[in-house]
Amino acid sequence: MKLAVLLVLATIALIILGFAFPVHQASTPGIVSGEALPGVGASTNTPEAAVRSLLGDVQARDWNRAYSVLANNNSVPKEAFMRDVGGNYGSLRTFSSLEGSRTRVLNQNGDQALVRADMHWSTAVGPIYDVKQLKVVQQGGNWKVEWPLEKQPTVPPQVVPVNYLRWDVISRGPEDDWGTQNVDSPRVRIVSMNAVQHGSTLVIVGEVVNEDTVPAFVDINAILIGKNDQNLDQESSFDKIQHTLLPKQVTPYRIDFPGFNLSQVKNVRMDAKAMLVPASADPVIAVLDQHEQTSVLGRKVLSGNLLNESGRIVNIAQVLATYYDSNGKVIWVSDGYVDRALLPQTPEPFAVDMPDSTVGKVQSYRVTVNHYMRQQS
Amino acid sequence: MRHALVLALLFVFSASCFAADGPRVQFDTSHIGPRQMEEVTGRNIPRDWGRAWQTLAIAFAQNRPDLLGHYFTGFAQQKLTAGIAAQEKSGVRTRYVDHGHKLEAFFYSPDGGALELHDTADLEIQVLDGNNLVHSERVTLRYIGLMTPAADHWEVRVLESVPSF
Amino acid sequence: MRRVLPAACLTICLMAALALAAQELQLPATVNAGSGFAIATSGSGSATFYLVGPSYTAKRQVQLGQEIQVRPPEVRSAGRYLAILRSGGASRSGSFYVSAAKPASLSFLAHPSRIPVGQRGGVVGVAFLFDNWHNLVRRPEDVEFRLSTKNAPAAAQSVRTRDGAAWILMNSGSKAGNAQFVAALDGIEEARVIQQVASDPCHLQIRAERSPRGILVQTAPVRDCSGNPVSDGTVVTFTANSPAGLSTVDVPVKKDTAQVELKIPGPATISVASGVVMGNEVKVGGQQ
Repeated sequence: MKLAVLLVLATIALIILGFAFPVHQASTPGIVSGEALPGVGASTNTPEAAVRSLLGDVQARDWNRAYSVLANNNSVPKEAFMRDVGGNYGSLRTFSSLEGSRTRVLNQNGDQALVRADMHWSTAVGPIYDVKQLKVVQQGGNWKVEWPLEKQPTVPPQVVPVNYLRWDVISRGPEDDWGTQNVDSPRVRIVSMNAVQHGSTLVIVGEVVNEDTVPAFVDINAILIGKNDQNLDQESSFDKIQHTLLPKQVTPYRIDFPGFNLSQVKNVRMDAKAMLVPASADPVIAVLDQHEQTSVLGRKVLSGNLLNESGRIVNIAQVLATYYDSNGKVIWVSDGYVDRALLPQTPEPFAVDMPDSTVGKVQSYRVTVNHYMRQQS
Repeated sequence: MRHALVLALLFVFSASCFAADGPRVQFDTSHIGPRQMEEVTGRNIPRDWGRAWQTLAIAFAQNRPDLLGHYFTGFAQQKLTAGIAAQEKSGVRTRYVDHGHKLEAFFYSPDGGALELHDTADLEIQVLDGNNLVHSERVTLRYIGLMTPAADHWEVRVLESVPSF
Repeated sequence: MRRVLPAACLTICLMAALALAAQELQLPATVNAGSGFAIATSGSGSATFYLVGPSYTAKRQVQLGQEIQVRPPEVRSAGRYLAILRSGGASRSGSFYVSAAKPASLSFLAHPSRIPVGQRGGVVGVAFLFDNWHNLVRRPEDVEFRLSTKNAPAAAQSVRTRDGAAWILMNSGSKAGNAQFVAALDGIEEARVIQQVASDPCHLQIRAERSPRGILVQTAPVRDCSGNPVSDGTVVTFTANSPAGLSTVDVPVKKDTAQVELKIPGPATISVASGVVMGNEVKVGGQQ
């Protein structure tokens, strides 16, 4: 009864406060990062202006105007240019929009120049950064961009037999008697867990294996326990895990706790949840030629190529990289989405960040691939 | 402003109704086997047992078998529903005034899917014919209960009064 | 006056005692579910009889001095019943218990639905006994649990129920396949199917050879340590370490083996793993 009265009084007080001190709507932010792009039909009287004009048209999805800024539009078909920039085959790029960019003239010599464009794409799964070095030439009084079209290889017509296993699930119904057997949830096990401090974020990384003989939809939750045994925070792995695990498949996971420090934490309680789901063993995606390198932005990355060995298009692929130290302990997990679709039998490059804190400590790594296909048969 | 206040009051009042304490339940797991009781289950069982009894009392007092579905299932729900239907047909109601329970868990299945309990209940039972009190007694009754887990709580699947444990 | 007062008091007390005694109905302590019985009454005139049970409530007019028949359908549910007789403002009552009749059904819980072979105490069976009217049979009874697979002798054990429940832990067999798990008592039987599946892969072996398009890698038949082939769909990870970098691919087992053609032109060291089990390594030279 006392609790009920307290709740009523607290609610009334909060309502009064809400009316007395309203929160003003914050202004809508403009460009998240980079410089504002010019409007449609902007000037192209300098190399940088030409690139910015092109990117402005791309942002506005005015393909006709963007195409008119190209210097090599006699060798770059318009449809190919639109596919290259705007995406196709239901790839992540088709769900993205150019949020902003930074441009810098790398060199200029007479009527030719090289301009670097750092583009920031806003996607359904977070920001994606793309860097292009664009050759810009002067034609008449205007500068125009030579678009570096990436030729997409054509997959030769062929029959690709697919006879990988597929699982369907029939569960017990609500009318079934008590005691009627049901199919059990899959058995999964967390095989490793490591807590690392990454700036102001406490990160839990590790691996989980599906020990069962059926596919599992897996999620990992972690609860931080403070020094006084109180629950500090709870988070899940969200998309930093390969959710659908086939039998005996291993996935890394990463759980971020922004604003928390290792020194605050006494213990971490882990919980792996697994659900029985229909699944297919197809497609098989090979990860080829993985190697460390330094990107054009000067960052350490793990890069390689993804090869879709099936006969169907993988619309969106996400790469998860697990980094191990010399003791085989997981020290970091990074992920990145590939914004192009994986065509059958066609290698597609990828690159994921290697944080500075791991440089020099990484002894080995392993890459796994999450995939999304629009049409699952 | 007025509407907001009224809505807030309604919400808090209904929330406090649901949050109201059920009958007092003392829970003993010292003789449990073969499986040991988890800490969370050890808190939930007396809570859900108390709520089941609270629901039973209200359902019988108001002839509302629809209330039984949340904390009763299987044979217990079937029998209690039949009991309420028989009450409605005869015009004779049973009212339970619950003075508390001493609950002892004695069988917890190895897979955690079933729990058998001994309940010593302190009850006041009134039998009314229409609005006339026909019988009243305060008794200590013994019950065997069988609970099984549902999505987020435990349900009573069997509830039988017995002369002794 | 001195003699009359004590006598009057004694009379009043005796009458009160008689009246109290007359409040209690003569009822059996316990009856079996579904068994009718009769309640003797004394006096004359009509009265109202109430019977209140766990799933039954009735009210009817009866004649005092005659037996009140409690019919079998009225006492089907086990539990405590109240019998109340009201006449002219006075009430007599009593209670009795109904206990379960003979066992008629088993509720059988069997876990898990899938279990790796060779697990000690991994199969759990719990049985609850009920009579025809879904009352828990509390009397001790012997329930037989049997776990049997094709081509293997059945394992059986009898367990006595306690308060209607019996439970058992049994070992899974050494051969993969469906096992029949049965709980039985006096002609009442409930059966469940437990799928016994292969354990973790054991002695994972690969062979690798150059092919026109790269390196063809194939596992030997993937089996567990008891010789059971692992389930189709079990993922095997092939890893190739070459000058161009590391290449990995997760391939599901099909008909006991997994194979892949890695498009690697140069020399490479190929290794294999499944879950947390590692296999052998094979070195392959570059293309000629």
